[in-house]
Amino acid sequence: MAVATIERDAELMLRVREGDIESFAVLLEKYRGPVVHFLHRMILNQAVAEELAQEVFLRVYRSRANYEPTAKFTTWLFRIASHLALNHIRDGRHERNQASLDEEIGEGMERQVASRGPSVEQTLVRESKFVEIRRAIQNLPAKQRAAVLMHKYEEMEYSQIAAVLECSESAVKSLLFRAYEGLRAKLAHLAG
Amino acid sequence: MSPNTMSCPLQSGNADVLLSYCAHMLDEERTELIEQHVAMCAECFALAEEQKTVWAALDGWESEPISAGFDNALFARIAAAERSSAWEQWTAPVRQWLAGDIGWKPALSVGVACLTLVVGIYLQNPARPVAATPTVEIAAQELEQAERALEDMEMLRQLEPTADEEKRL
Ligand SMILES: [Zn+2]
Repeated sequence: MAVATIERDAELMLRVREGDIESFAVLLEKYRGPVVHFLHRMILNQAVAEELAQEVFLRVYRSRANYEPTAKFTTWLFRIASHLALNHIRDGRHERNQASLDEEIGEGMERQVASRGPSVEQTLVRESKFVEIRRAIQNLPAKQRAAVLMHKYEEMEYSQIAAVLECSESAVKSLLFRAYEGLRAKLAHLAG
Repeated sequence: MSPNTMSCPLQSGNADVLLSYCAHMLDEERTELIEQHVAMCAECFALAEEQKTVWAALDGWESEPISAGFDNALFARIAAAERSSAWEQWTAPVRQWLAGDIGWKPALSVGVACLTLVVGIYLQNPARPVAATPTVEIAAQELEQAERALEDMEMLRQLEPTADEEKRL
């Protein structure tokens, strides 16, 4: 790969490889939010999401010596994040978080009630929507959920999602189609 | 198919085009084409309307604020991981020897090498202690590497965002 075509993030990561810590700080600043929010929406627990996100950045830093800019930096970053999230869900640690999910939904509602709240009725409608959206996402199979979150919130192209999930582009299209079909069935009534 | 019309994405197995359209990920030309089709096709119209609702619902899912201590915790984990791997590097020969992977002879030369290094430093030889065996040189290099890693950790701590910067995040 010619140096000129290396994207900015890969360039920063190459500097991290050479021992430049400031470049690591720049990457952390840029991707802390996206990684934490992706993991939070994957496993629906903010504390665990932050712990896993730290693991993601720890792995990035620890594997700096072997970094090669063969793919987009974000593809590599989200591949690590997806692996951790999918493993976490697969190992059933997710199940134990279900109790805390309900707790967190409760807290989220309280927070939103406290922060806004023009009228009680409006607030309740908004809160029940919020719960429904989270439940609909939670009920998707883990890989479909990952695909939707990257498509919706990271605005990734099908090809990049395929590279992250290590599957074909047509597999991603079918994952997304099934996922949105499920979401439409559960959320279409929220129109208006 | 004329250039100004398109076949039904649902009929032709290209439903992803509809998803991309609802996600505003198509260019102007393709957006226009699909809009023309959606206006005529009841099935695609219904799907697009529902998909737009889902899209808007997901837009309403705001992200949670990240803990102020996130970076501190990360740097502590990095520092701990670097320390433990440096420690593993230093102690690898001893652990191998204890596990019986290395015979007496190399262990003896490691011992002699360490002794040479210590004596060299103790005598405050103006020149760097002469490497008695290649082992000493490797040990010195590893020491330097580990020191550099610890310095890096110090730098990381200094780079932590200030309270004001945290607020922006
Ligand atoms: Zn159609």
